[in-house]
Amino acid sequence: MWSYTLRRLLATLPTLLAVITACYLLVHAAPGGPFDSERKVSEAVLANLQAKYHLDKPPVEQYFYYLGNLLHGDLGASFRYADWSVNDLVAAALPVSLSIGGTAIVLSFVIGVVLGIAAALRQNSAADYTVMFCSNSGSVLPSFVLGPLLVLVFAILLKWLPAGGWDGFNWKFMILPIALLTFINVATIARVMRGSLIEVLHSNFIRTAKAKGLPTRVVVFRHALKPALLPVVSVMGPLTISSITSALVTETIFSLPGIGKLIVNGAGNRDYTLVLGLVVLITVLAVLLNLLVDLAYAALDPKIRY
Amino acid sequence: MNKKIPLLAAALLLALGASAAVIPPGVQLHASQTLIRNNGSEPETLDPANAESVGANNITRDLFEGLTANDSAGNIVPGVAESWKQMNPTTWVFKLRQNAKWSNGDPVTANDFVFGIRRFLDPKTASTYATTFGVFLQNGLLVAQGKKPTTELGVKAIDKFTLELKTAGPVPFLPALMSNNNLGAVHEPSVKKFGKDWVKPGNMVSNGAYMLKEWSVNSKVIIEKNPQYWDAKNVTLERVTYLPIEDENAETKLFETGQIEWTNQLPPGTFEKFKAQYPKDIKNQPIIGLRYYSYQTQSPQFKDVRIRKAMSMVIDRDILAQKVTADGQSPAYDVVVKGTIGEDVGQYDWAAWPMAKRVEEAKKLLAEAGVKPGTKYTLSYNTSEYHKKMAIFAQSEWKTKLGLNVEMEAMEFKVLLKKRHDGTFQIARNGWLADYNDATTFLALVRCDSDQNNNFNCNREAEKLITEGSNTTDLAKRKDLFNKAAKMIMDEYPIIPLLQYSLPRLVKSYVGGYSQDNVQDRYRSKDLYIIKH
Repeated sequence: MWSYTLRRLLATLPTLLAVITACYLLVHAAPGGPFDSERKVSEAVLANLQAKYHLDKPPVEQYFYYLGNLLHGDLGASFRYADWSVNDLVAAALPVSLSIGGTAIVLSFVIGVVLGIAAALRQNSAADYTVMFCSNSGSVLPSFVLGPLLVLVFAILLKWLPAGGWDGFNWKFMILPIALLTFINVATIARVMRGSLIEVLHSNFIRTAKAKGLPTRVVVFRHALKPALLPVVSVMGPLTISSITSALVTETIFSLPGIGKLIVNGAGNRDYTLVLGLVVLITVLAVLLNLLVDLAYAALDPKIRY
Repeated sequence: MNKKIPLLAAALLLALGASAAVIPPGVQLHASQTLIRNNGSEPETLDPANAESVGANNITRDLFEGLTANDSAGNIVPGVAESWKQMNPTTWVFKLRQNAKWSNGDPVTANDFVFGIRRFLDPKTASTYATTFGVFLQNGLLVAQGKKPTTELGVKAIDKFTLELKTAGPVPFLPALMSNNNLGAVHEPSVKKFGKDWVKPGNMVSNGAYMLKEWSVNSKVIIEKNPQYWDAKNVTLERVTYLPIEDENAETKLFETGQIEWTNQLPPGTFEKFKAQYPKDIKNQPIIGLRYYSYQTQSPQFKDVRIRKAMSMVIDRDILAQKVTADGQSPAYDVVVKGTIGEDVGQYDWAAWPMAKRVEEAKKLLAEAGVKPGTKYTLSYNTSEYHKKMAIFAQSEWKTKLGLNVEMEAMEFKVLLKKRHDGTFQIARNGWLADYNDATTFLALVRCDSDQNNNFNCNREAEKLITEGSNTTDLAKRKDLFNKAAKMIMDEYPIIPLLQYSLPRLVKSYVGGYSQDNVQDRYRSKDLYIIKH
């Protein structure tokens, strides 16, 4: 297992390099530069700015300069937020996104699996229809509709929670964004869990277990649950990534200083180093999460061995 | 004599005393003097030399004090300089108050201003405003362009508390110009000790009414009263929190839940709704800014002034202001707007005509220019609901009244900026907020060889008048020359003026000191106070 993990990690290096290279080319190819503003800056100022950010060097030299810094863990200086390095900006935004997205994904997994099991065991009952109705609502209701609704009810009408903003890790400010992300993710997980468990419950080995007279509880939790979790585990990777990094709508609705907002602002400002730094971060996160998913697969399915 | 810029003694301006919060008699102050306001975006920096955005300048205005300052009504008041005197058309002497201190207790001296101003114009500092403001100081432009050393800049410390500024020509608005903190003092030992980190909490030494307490990037900036400030006893607000919320819908919700007391700007189309909902809190003052469309006057489509004139004539600015944007802005027909000092606001004759007559005349002009109905043009704008709404209206006006087919082209702001600077457009959305209150800030939009001239039109005769006006010391003559030049240029229709900006926002009625006369929207927290509520 250790050698597999190591091999997987090493195999990600070409992926990472390819992603960085593609992103590097794309951000530099985008029309409009980082120093384009309403007022044209003088040639001398522009030359100094370009020298400061090494944009005066040939593109290939710039690229290797960036990679060299990256190897030392230096993501460079932000073009837009001149007082901060990209490392500073990422360090400030990542805990926000991790805490909101991470908590939401854990809650989604627990709630989604429980609801999915409940719906599968009572297929075509009122409970099943209720769970599926809620799941489908979560799938079709976009977060830019549901989020403001949550704000309207819990912040403006009931005045129980703040409408948005960030106050360190004050839980009051975290509840609504976590609730929004959880609701959306639960919908996916519950539907996948339900479908998968129903399929497993109709398989031959479960029929054998039932024929042996095992109680339903044992059949479900000892025999059916593990294989039924496999499809759920496979969707957890992308769901986690999107919860942590792509929650732009959530971050906008609740004015959270997270990664999603940073990457959109970075792209709009042509803040090359900031965009590249965030792409590196997201790629690394994606690779690690995919690896975790694979390892979870192995733990759940004895047929899979590395 | 009264119309001349007074030379020597007559120009002596004395400080009338402290210019802090004026609390009307009978007003009871709230026990807690704190304010939370949304600033609209994350400041790109807190270094006053590099501050460019409105948001960054809002904060640096509290942290730093220049030679002069703006009070809540927008008037120029003494800052660190308690008085100033114009010695001759190009020489000004500022007397600094001797009790002004940095937040670490060091005295604020003339040398701090020399250091700050030289640093601002030094190309190494790479301030985007260096040429904009530098052009007014002696050798300022050459220094900003890296063609002369900063030591040749027209700024000199006569003694510890006396500063001399030499200008490139007569600059009657110099005291107003010096209220911009880009041209202010910075604490040299801190800059040298901490490098770029001198702006971080714990490192920053500032000379304004407030000190930097906390800066959580993309989350908040908190400033607190500076006990070393020379007028600290008249500063009422103890703490101000600036939030960087960009989404206007999100900020209004925070206002509704009481989490913020001052919004940056209302979402488009919501002014009337919030006016009815919060009649005591709604604010909407005109500011000196112009919304306009630029023509690429060198493009084959718009070389003919008759086409440019016709298309300008048929846009009904009244409907645009009252029904389309509907947030308190006013129609504009000139490059300068109401409230601007140094020039009268001009108006086209046809602006008073009934629309039917305007359309008839416009059709005639197009026919003379050989433009047939169905002719295609492109209007470029940066993606935003507000700009889209305005563009759809203009497109409809041109289609229904003249039969022209104008295609709308939405794009990112950076892309539009590049198109405008490169001249690779036909018609482009544009806008300008005055950097200082003088007509020259607007004339820069239409002057020959100006970096801000995105329309590529040039009228050399008008240019001569502007140059002559800029070099005269007679204010009435200066205004007259600028008026004539602006008319000559606007008769060539390089741009389509549309609306004068206003700022619809919500500010809690218990925030005292907020004035709706402030045409540059520049407020100092030292002028504000919280009324008992």
